[in-house]
Amino acid sequence: MRQTMPVRLGPAEDTLIAQLNSVGASAEADRMTVAGLPTRRVESYHYTDLKTLLKTVPPLATPANQASAPALRVAGAYQLMIANGVVQGASTAPAGVIVGTTTGGVLSTRDDVLVHLNGALACEALTLTLESSVDPVIQIDRRCEGDAAHVADAVKIFVADNGSAVILETFSGSEAAHVGNHATYLALGKNAVVTHITVDLSSKASSHFASNEYTLAEGAKLRTVTIHAGAGLSRSQVFARFAGAGAHADFTGLNLVADGQHNDITIDIRHGVAHTTSQEMYKQIARGRSKAVFQGKIVVERDAQKTDAKMMMQGLMLSDEAEILSKPELEIYADDVVCGHGSTCGELDEESMFYLMSRGIPKAEAETMLVRGFIAEVLDPIEDEALNEALNGIVDGWLLGK
Amino acid sequence: MTTPILEIRNLHARIEEREILKGVNLIIPPGEVHAVMGRNGSGKSTLSYVLAGKEDYEITEGEVLLDGENLLEMDPAERAAAGLFLAFQYPIEIPGVATMTFLKAAINAQRKARGEGELSTPDFMRAVKTAGTELNVDTDMLKRPLNVGFSGGEKKRAEVLQMALLQPKMCILDETDSGLDIDALQVVSKGVNALRAANRSMLVITHYQRLLNHIVPDVVHVFSDGRIVESGDKDLALQLEAKGYADFDGAAA
Ligand SMILES: Nc1ncnc2c1ncn2[C@@H]1O[C@H](COP(=O)(O)OP(=O)(O)OP(=O)(O)O)[C@@H](O)[C@H]1O
Ligand SMILES: [Mg+2]
Repeated sequence: MRQTMPVRLGPAEDTLIAQLNSVGASAEADRMTVAGLPTRRVESYHYTDLKTLLKTVPPLATPANQASAPALRVAGAYQLMIANGVVQGASTAPAGVIVGTTTGGVLSTRDDVLVHLNGALACEALTLTLESSVDPVIQIDRRCEGDAAHVADAVKIFVADNGSAVILETFSGSEAAHVGNHATYLALGKNAVVTHITVDLSSKASSHFASNEYTLAEGAKLRTVTIHAGAGLSRSQVFARFAGAGAHADFTGLNLVADGQHNDITIDIRHGVAHTTSQEMYKQIARGRSKAVFQGKIVVERDAQKTDAKMMMQGLMLSDEAEILSKPELEIYADDVVCGHGSTCGELDEESMFYLMSRGIPKAEAETMLVRGFIAEVLDPIEDEALNEALNGIVDGWLLGK
Repeated sequence: MTTPILEIRNLHARIEEREILKGVNLIIPPGEVHAVMGRNGSGKSTLSYVLAGKEDYEITEGEVLLDGENLLEMDPAERAAAGLFLAFQYPIEIPGVATMTFLKAAINAQRKARGEGELSTPDFMRAVKTAGTELNVDTDMLKRPLNVGFSGGEKKRAEVLQMALLQPKMCILDETDSGLDIDALQVVSKGVNALRAANRSMLVITHYQRLLNHIVPDVVHVFSDGRIVESGDKDLALQLEAKGYADFDGAAA
């Protein structure tokens, strides 16, 4: 018989085990006791060794009694808020939107520590049912407020057949060293058209973990935009499954990584049926001593003939000490498919910088212009003007935060 | 004596281990147009880049004053705000930056550096339109990303359009005539001549005497192996055209 050595647990794991036990999630507590947090030896966490990176976990959140200023205001948006895991009262919903709450986890079971933790610790989920085409941008403002807290929250969204919506989720809060574990489940009905944008604007001291799960029915069209511009440690996971023919999705994102930060976008896209298409376009910008990680996995299942999937990662290094990592992975079990991936990495073009500056544009502004050009492909498809401006503003702000 | 707009004293510059400018001396008083002619590779573009502040070069000796100010201490943006403009021999394409956004940013950055207020959008549009009409630049072209897909001649015209908008004190035109068709040469020369003014000077780098029939220089310099070897009036260009460079720089053609 082979003896398995028990893993050595650190303070973060000890806290997590106690927290899981305190909410009665003993199975999850046992799992954490046996396996600990994932290290680089776990393939999907190879570049984001949580055991090393997540040193401590603050106490479980209690309801917030004060809120910081909103991280992002988009003119005309319908606002909903979840603070420290608690769904807040909202104003009258616009036509076609039904707002509610439900208990607990929203994600499908999968072998992932962040998904497990969210499922065990999120007490309440905000539910949205979008019955038709929703006009205003829906903004879900997810907060970690007050003293450092471990916050788990969840959102479940159903978009009816032929429905459409633009949904923006922002993550922010007080300056404390929070650990946020956020889950969103989004199901698109037949021919539904959805843009789903998640923006991390939380404090640099905090750790931000988000898992977004999507399912697409026949003919559905999805665009996701994952933006990291906040937490010192972050990982956003995108799990998507194409379940109906004719569905298409653009998975896009901006991983903005500043000095001392480690930000990771990991996607796992499954083409499960024939005749579906996806395009993955992620841009990473890193400055100072920092690490940007993109892991892109596309799985084409055996029956998913005629799948067309193209993945691209482009990196822009603003310092010599930055690291930009990209791991594409294609797993193809069908024979009649078109799949490809590519990645590039470079610095700001010196000739371009000189040209702009030679016309009197100061260095910082010239950099901003070139960076805006670099990310345009990701933000340009956002048609709502106020939203587009707000997102460009985040990038400008990030650049100025040097 | 009035302060020259440009004064270059014993300028030496190298790239990596190779010395390219080997003691350039040049004084351009206000209002004068000087032409520079010289063999391929003699260092004319290098001189223009060094003046504009390109980073690749190491300046080992010498001094440059722009209207009395020490140019070499400024970064390229500061030089532009101080009134220097280089029309590039090879203007580059910058995808992702809209031409109009760029023009407005450039004008306003320079105004700001000089303590002036921003140009309003209508005023800006008017200025672009006027300059565009004069230089025969289709303003539709300006809706594209900066220089992207512009033909060679269009790029050159766009450079002169920028110059007209920015109203610099010191204009350096590096082979602005190359790539222009006969009509465009007329239009661009007219545009450049319209900018001639008592308080503005120009340094026109060219290979062709023909340009100097349109833009008549006050002084012509012959550039050879990193320095000026001969200066004269506009007739010097005619002599060069007739005899080639060998008589002036002593090297075999
Ligand atoms: N980046 C560089 N590295 C090495 N050598 C260079 C570099 N840039 C220019 N040179 C060299 O410097 C010399 C001068 O080049 P420059 O472009 O200034 O010539 P020019 O007089 O403008 O020529 P042309 O009439 O062909 O435009 C050339 O021999 C060129 O090869
Ligand atoms: Mg040249």
